[in-house]
Amino acid sequence: MKRNARLGGLRRAGRRLTVAATAMALIALPACSPDKSADNSEPLSPSNPTTLTVWITTAQQAPAPDNKITKLLKDKLGVTIKYEIVTPDNEDQKIGVTLAGGQYPDLIGTGDLKQRFLEGGALRRLDDMLKTGDYPNLAAHVKDDIKKMSYSGDQVDKGLYIFPNYNRFYGEVTGGTYFGPAFWIQKRVLADAGYPDLSNMTLDRYFQLISDYKAKHPQTNGAPTVGFEILASKGREWGMTNPPALLAGSPNNGGVIVDSNNHASIYADKDIAKNFYKVLNQQYSAGLVDPESFTLTYDQYTAKLATGAVLGMHDQGWDFGTATQSLQSAGKDEDTYVPVMPVYDGVTPWYADRAVMNINQGFGVSVSSKQPKKALKFLDTMLSEEWQKTLSWGIAGEDYQVGADGVFSRTDEQRKNSKDITWRSHNRLDALLDMLPKHQGKFSDGNAYSPDDQPAEFYATLSDYDKNFMAKYGNKKTWLDFMNKAPENPKYYPAWNIKLSDDANQVNQQLTDTSVQNLPKIIAGKPADFDKNWQTYVDSIHKIDVKVYEDQVNAGIKDRLANW
Amino acid sequence: MTDATTSSLVTATGLEPALEPASSSRAQNRKARKNAAKDPKRKITWDRVWAQRALLAMSVPLLLYQILFKYVPVYGWAIAFQHYKPGRGSIFDQQWVGLNNFRNLFTGVNGERFRRVVVNTMGQSVLTLIVGTLGAIVLALLLNEVKNLPLKRILQNITYMPHFLSWVIVASLASVALSLPSSGGFINQGLMSLHLVDHPVLFLTQPNYFWGIVAGTSLWKELGWNTILYLAAITAIDPGLYEAAEVDGAGRYRKMFSITLPSIRPTIVVLLIINSGWILSTNFELPYFLGNGLVSDRSETIDVFVLRYGYQLGNYSLAVVAGIFKTIVAVILVGSANLAAKRLNQETLV
Amino acid sequence: MSRTTVAKPLARRASRGGSRRRKWTVEHIIFTTLNTTFLLALAALMIYPLLNTLAISLDDGNDAVRGGIGIWPRVFSLQNYDVVFNMTTIYQAFFMSVLKTVVVVATNLFFTSMLAYALSRKEFIFRRPITLIFVLTMYFDAGLIPNYLLIKDLGMLNSFQAYWVPTIISAFNLIILRTYMKSIPEEIIESARTDGAGEFRMWWQIVMPLCKPTLAVVGLFVAVGSWNSWLDTLLYNSSDPSLSTLQYELQKLLTSSMNAGMNSVAATGSAHSGGQVTTPIALRSAITMVAAVPILFVYPFLQKHFVSGLMIGSVKG
Repeated sequence: MKRNARLGGLRRAGRRLTVAATAMALIALPACSPDKSADNSEPLSPSNPTTLTVWITTAQQAPAPDNKITKLLKDKLGVTIKYEIVTPDNEDQKIGVTLAGGQYPDLIGTGDLKQRFLEGGALRRLDDMLKTGDYPNLAAHVKDDIKKMSYSGDQVDKGLYIFPNYNRFYGEVTGGTYFGPAFWIQKRVLADAGYPDLSNMTLDRYFQLISDYKAKHPQTNGAPTVGFEILASKGREWGMTNPPALLAGSPNNGGVIVDSNNHASIYADKDIAKNFYKVLNQQYSAGLVDPESFTLTYDQYTAKLATGAVLGMHDQGWDFGTATQSLQSAGKDEDTYVPVMPVYDGVTPWYADRAVMNINQGFGVSVSSKQPKKALKFLDTMLSEEWQKTLSWGIAGEDYQVGADGVFSRTDEQRKNSKDITWRSHNRLDALLDMLPKHQGKFSDGNAYSPDDQPAEFYATLSDYDKNFMAKYGNKKTWLDFMNKAPENPKYYPAWNIKLSDDANQVNQQLTDTSVQNLPKIIAGKPADFDKNWQTYVDSIHKIDVKVYEDQVNAGIKDRLANW
Repeated sequence: MTDATTSSLVTATGLEPALEPASSSRAQNRKARKNAAKDPKRKITWDRVWAQRALLAMSVPLLLYQILFKYVPVYGWAIAFQHYKPGRGSIFDQQWVGLNNFRNLFTGVNGERFRRVVVNTMGQSVLTLIVGTLGAIVLALLLNEVKNLPLKRILQNITYMPHFLSWVIVASLASVALSLPSSGGFINQGLMSLHLVDHPVLFLTQPNYFWGIVAGTSLWKELGWNTILYLAAITAIDPGLYEAAEVDGAGRYRKMFSITLPSIRPTIVVLLIINSGWILSTNFELPYFLGNGLVSDRSETIDVFVLRYGYQLGNYSLAVVAGIFKTIVAVILVGSANLAAKRLNQETLV
Repeated sequence: MSRTTVAKPLARRASRGGSRRRKWTVEHIIFTTLNTTFLLALAALMIYPLLNTLAISLDDGNDAVRGGIGIWPRVFSLQNYDVVFNMTTIYQAFFMSVLKTVVVVATNLFFTSMLAYALSRKEFIFRRPITLIFVLTMYFDAGLIPNYLLIKDLGMLNSFQAYWVPTIISAFNLIILRTYMKSIPEEIIESARTDGAGEFRMWWQIVMPLCKPTLAVVGLFVAVGSWNSWLDTLLYNSSDPSLSTLQYELQKLLTSSMNAGMNSVAATGSAHSGGQVTTPIALRSAITMVAAVPILFVYPFLQKHFVSGLMIGSVKG
């Protein structure tokens, strides 16, 4: 109906000659009227259909129209969801205009670290609604961490606006893959060196392993073997900038190290950084670091890793998944990577941290929603264990099996399906689930929140090579076992998600840019020029108003220590 | 985001079929213009307005349209003088900060950087514009010499194809082409097999090559596309001119330089004037995707800077300040180019 | 009248050129050989990116990641196209893109040429100020937010109008058309005027037919611009799936595939369970092909108007 009217308007307009008339004909188009059903917090039911408009910032696709979970929502709850999916790349532009327009869908799921929807006044404060007791799952979800989850800035009233979409855990946290930062090394290097002990790793030992192997195998599949790769492309420069903090035993706090007095300061210009880049500079001139490192685009980096020729690099585990997948599909498991944790003398490694709650990212209810209670009820219902299993595992019997012992498992076919994006668009609600609050950790029946976290599921998918490799390292069962046991997070942790003012953000960006500009010159420069190049870098850092940034981070830490 | 950035470099141009050799028409033009200036008919009187009511009806509604869609929204430039936060009410309910945003951009650490990115933007743009224009003209002339029509069409069809690939893909291909031979760098392979270099050159690590790389990559992508209007202008030339020249015994090159080039000169001139205003709006993708720390002193352009310090930081005000700066420079450049063209009795924009 | 409409096609010149005996001088042979060789080499260089993209799009995703593919796929696979064409929104979006492009081209050519005609008339008293006002719009942009608010205030959010109403005039094309029209010999206009034609008739019946080559070029520019744009969909129409466009949907698919590449390994820690997993690099190529091929086909149709169509050259004063 709506579209016909539109096209009709178009056809009419085409015949007119004057613009004025055209403009008039076009402006007079009906806007769609909002759903005027009564808003109450009764359980959602098919007898009382509800349509929810939902904004989701996600890289996931909207479900296909015949999606089976969509149908289930309709059949069981009477809920129809109208999606507006904005990809992270487009978020900046779309948030700006949407806020300026002032009209929002019922639910807003945002991943915006700058909290523009929240601070722009688009979201409803939810504390009072939760107190009514009508939303038991949500209330239980936020109870322990309400302070952490609440907004504490000064742009709008303090309180709870957004339910974090990830990393609010229930019970024991399981999982098999390590996605965090590490120095990675190919399994064949370790195998060749006789599976050396990986504890007490140092930079020297790490590069020694690589250099020994490279000397023995200068060629890989016909291409020159690359000792160490550095990805310095914009937006992914952490592979180059973050290692000093990790080497010094500090967990990932972004651009700062927080000392034992909870005082934060940048480390880019400190000795822990200088020492690391000095090593890289030496390795570069020794020919171990790829001379193409700094010109690689992300695609080229992935391609190099995927050829199997790169022996090691520093990166975050999730960043090179495509390359790993390619290597595995080619049966080159020995060319895939294991994380190792080099540190400076006398330092305990703290690479793996406890997963940090995604505060200020997730769903909130908009101020323009005419049915906030229903919208909130929907989030509450989705957080029930029954729906969480449906969203995460799928439908029992179809997408997974429940064993006699109550343990969930999948067949190869089911695993295969779950990786097929076309299949998923018909059978999963990935976009919605990406923003929903989740029951991560374990369900009350002992099953893990998702198949990926189910230990048996993980081990079953490992190749024989990997199983054998793990066996050589004391019968480890997961890649996580190669990492340090994450200590309890400090109360303020992590400093990188402290909300900064525009000025401090700008300083932070300037610091990043200075690193991206100077570090390649330092690493690729002549060893004799190292001190001179380093000084140039330090000087350019000192031109930046670093204090503005450090002060804000410290204020944020203080605030968290007092309130969290 | 502006017209300028989206329509890259030499996307198109004024088309002018030459009806007579330009040299003789120039003198006439000059005379005509002089006469027009003195012409009493050019005075605006109600009678004349009424007599031109049809022309007014054709233009005034569209003028109002343009004012509504292009000029009215310029009130948004108020953001340049604010600490703008979207959502806090209308554009006029914001915190006013005077010239702070201008100071932030033009002084201090940002200022130093901004001066550098302006130089880079101009360098890359001017080089791209020169290489692109010359390349397109030469290709148009050479294509014009292909007398086999199907071959000519196929050649033209192929040369314009790269225009339809995104900059990401083109940058990616360029990056591979410029890499080491072991990574597929065929340029190095070629240079080495011709013994022009002994060791492969890491082109993308050399600051001095960067502007050239940008210009060369743009040429690759846009050459055929930029040729379209020149070709169209050439095909509109009266064949009689060539015939007459042949009777006079003119050879291929005389015809090229005395007929073809003068005939498409208005096209070239209009295009250069238009593009002169876009010198600060170089395409942002190439410097962004091909740039790296080693060449950043030469690679970073205004648009890259604005992306990082404006949009990515949610600092809308800074982006608008940069936009205003670009507009002012553009208007000065176009005005000067137009004036220069007028002085030289060439085709002008206005 | 008869004098003005003698639009003799280039064919005349070609046939005449062919019938006239060419002087096959040595110079001519050398030039033709060199020129053809050079242009063929150039064409090879120019077609390479597209063939390369095609080859990658037809390659197995996991294999394509390794790079090094030339113009022939290494491990042939249609999985990338499978993913693209399995996207349920794609057909609707394709239709919308075509409709949008057709409407934008039609309205843009209509209004821009009408205005260009008025501004090409030397006697038009407001010619200069109006031209200046349009020329300036090439060099500034009010910014996303005010533009968005204007569309919103005009009630055009989530409507087809948002696609074409804001773009009915392009200053750039206006200048091209005006410059061309200015060069149409005055005697053609004058003789039509003596025949009693008004300005509208003059524009539509006399000038427009003479402008066909330029209109074809401008039409091509507008069509390509409209076909490739997705920002308008994002800003104005992203909450109505029935208004989505091909470029916007493909752009979203690309982002989601990058994510899928990350997640597929995240999902199990291993790719050994197989499955239809493609990779961002391979999928991007398929997306590029799907986005570019329809518009690539427009060109040959328009090409005939400006590569071989000589319209007014034969008019002699």
